[in-house]
Amino acid sequence: MAAPTAGLMVPKTQPVRPASSAPSWHSLDQEQRTARHRRRMRSADLLVAIAWTSVAAAIGLYFVSGGWATSRHDLSGIVTAGGILAGLAATDLLLVMLVLVARVPLIDRTFGHDKALAAHRRIGKPALYLLLAHAALLTVGYGLSSDTNPVRETWDLLTANTDMFLAYVALGLLIAVVVTSLVAVRRRLQYEVWHVVHLLSYAGVLVAVPHELSAGSVLATGTPERLFWIALYVLAFGSVLVHRFVVPLLTSAEHALRVERIEWVAEDVFSIHLRGQRLDRFGARGGQFAVFRFWTGRTWWHAHPISFSAAPSRTSLRLTVRVLGDGTERLTRLPRGTFVSVEGPYGVFSDRTRTAPYLTAITAGIGITPIRALLEDSALRPGEATVLLRAGDANQRYLWDEVTEIVGRSGGTTLTMTGHRPRGIRTWMSAKAVEHQVTIQRALPHLLESDVYICGPQTWSDLVAADCRAAGVPAHRIHLERFDS
Amino acid sequence: MRPRALALSLAGAATVLIGSVEVGQAIAQPLQQASSATTTEQSTSSSTSTSSASSPSTPSASSTPSSSATKTASAGVSGTFTGTTEETRYGPMQVEIVVSNGRITDVKALQLTNQDPRSVQISESAAPILREEALSAQSAKIDSVSGATYTSEGYISSLQSAIDKAGLKR
Repeated sequence: MAAPTAGLMVPKTQPVRPASSAPSWHSLDQEQRTARHRRRMRSADLLVAIAWTSVAAAIGLYFVSGGWATSRHDLSGIVTAGGILAGLAATDLLLVMLVLVARVPLIDRTFGHDKALAAHRRIGKPALYLLLAHAALLTVGYGLSSDTNPVRETWDLLTANTDMFLAYVALGLLIAVVVTSLVAVRRRLQYEVWHVVHLLSYAGVLVAVPHELSAGSVLATGTPERLFWIALYVLAFGSVLVHRFVVPLLTSAEHALRVERIEWVAEDVFSIHLRGQRLDRFGARGGQFAVFRFWTGRTWWHAHPISFSAAPSRTSLRLTVRVLGDGTERLTRLPRGTFVSVEGPYGVFSDRTRTAPYLTAITAGIGITPIRALLEDSALRPGEATVLLRAGDANQRYLWDEVTEIVGRSGGTTLTMTGHRPRGIRTWMSAKAVEHQVTIQRALPHLLESDVYICGPQTWSDLVAADCRAAGVPAHRIHLERFDS
Repeated sequence: MRPRALALSLAGAATVLIGSVEVGQAIAQPLQQASSATTTEQSTSSSTSTSSASSPSTPSASSTPSSSATKTASAGVSGTFTGTTEETRYGPMQVEIVVSNGRITDVKALQLTNQDPRSVQISESAAPILREEALSAQSAKIDSVSGATYTSEGYISSLQSAIDKAGLKR
């Protein structure tokens, strides 16, 4: 291994890495990992295919119903049919979006919480465009058939009956939801405001149902469409109900988590020690996170997604939090015995998704917490793990001692890099490291045979990931999870 | 998207779409035959009723099976008169009028455009308006309801033929 350069420190206490990597381990573990990865990718591809096929089915059933055969003969019929198809596809996409945020374990374990959310976001805008096309095309189509201009036709439809009025309400709600979620708009909104508006999407999808029943014929008795749409609505709302309400309620009741104590780790970082029951059944792996709600008068309305900062035991959990705003500031004064409800555990940022013989972790600041738990929860061969701890300044070295100890015990290597980034250069390294021309491959010799776990601020993490990709690490071995919701 | 996911999605979506279109066509064929059959049938019946409408003063029993007219000396006709079936783009339309002493006292819709739920919705909302207009105008010279042009036209034609059969000179 190359001697560490000035920007990169190897603590003196580190055991020397075994020179060879003769693979006695390259057997069961590796086979299991490969098999698990294949299974995961298979279900990922299948789930994606099912989602798109459901859109095709929504459209196809319109043809089965004979809707097209009766309407294709003139312009107004064709425009109307286009509007109906847009509405069907949009409704299907909306229901898929609901399933994606329902935190269904299969989806979470397959894609990860953040990837599911990213997919949800990507579908949002196209779904809205389809809905707008649905309204516009039907207005024009109906207008053509009755010689009414679109404005008049809109008024006629709006005032036709309650169902149609509600459909316009639904459209308005869904427009509001998508607009408040646009990056530019959302940045200006308080999380709570955005969240409340976003909850309206459930209402939006539901108040659109009556007009689907009366004006649309999708649920006409005895048709295949009826079966399809009922199944889809039950699946979407059922998964939300079960996995976002029922399961968290049961989990919270079973584990009865309570705050045991608050421990300050640094000036602005503290650990919350939780005590609970039967946490072995909670099934949390180191590196995962859960969504916690602390039931005091001042904190209950704020759900906090927090990574475990230690591998969970049968009776205790530890969370480590950096004070970032009012929400986290209030947590520093949680009284002992506060009841804590929990949703989770979530995420694929754990050793369950490994595929490579080595493990490399790169962390910055408070991003160290899931890595700390992940390392503790992994059975590591000597020399398997290399951890690079990054801090802007000496005050940000939270939990470094703990990580160094865990890595040292397993015979791995801990590297540290302290110092701010250089001005004007897009890099994740310190100015000093850049000056000494440290590269990711020289710093981390096993990088290309590693699962690389990255956790830190978002833009910083993206830069690390880009560096890894450029060095030749395959995408599925770069583990990076977003914790924003 | 991963290549395999893309391939599976395309295969799944294509299979479902092509399958549905095929099934749709298979179902639509007998439907179209049936509908073309009814169209010819109705066009003949409407031609007979047009011929009967051309001689309005003598309602013939054959063309108005359900009309039962009784003439009183002082006032006009009384009875129930059925209009012709008007085929519209959205289904057949037929009305019946109740006449008492030469006055139209009621208009009943025997058939309303009902081809799809949307047409049902339109015709059900338009029919009461057209009925009111007909009762106050005591004729078929009424405005059509906006947004329900086809329904209105069918309604008015059928109404006119019923009025002709009753021999009301309007």
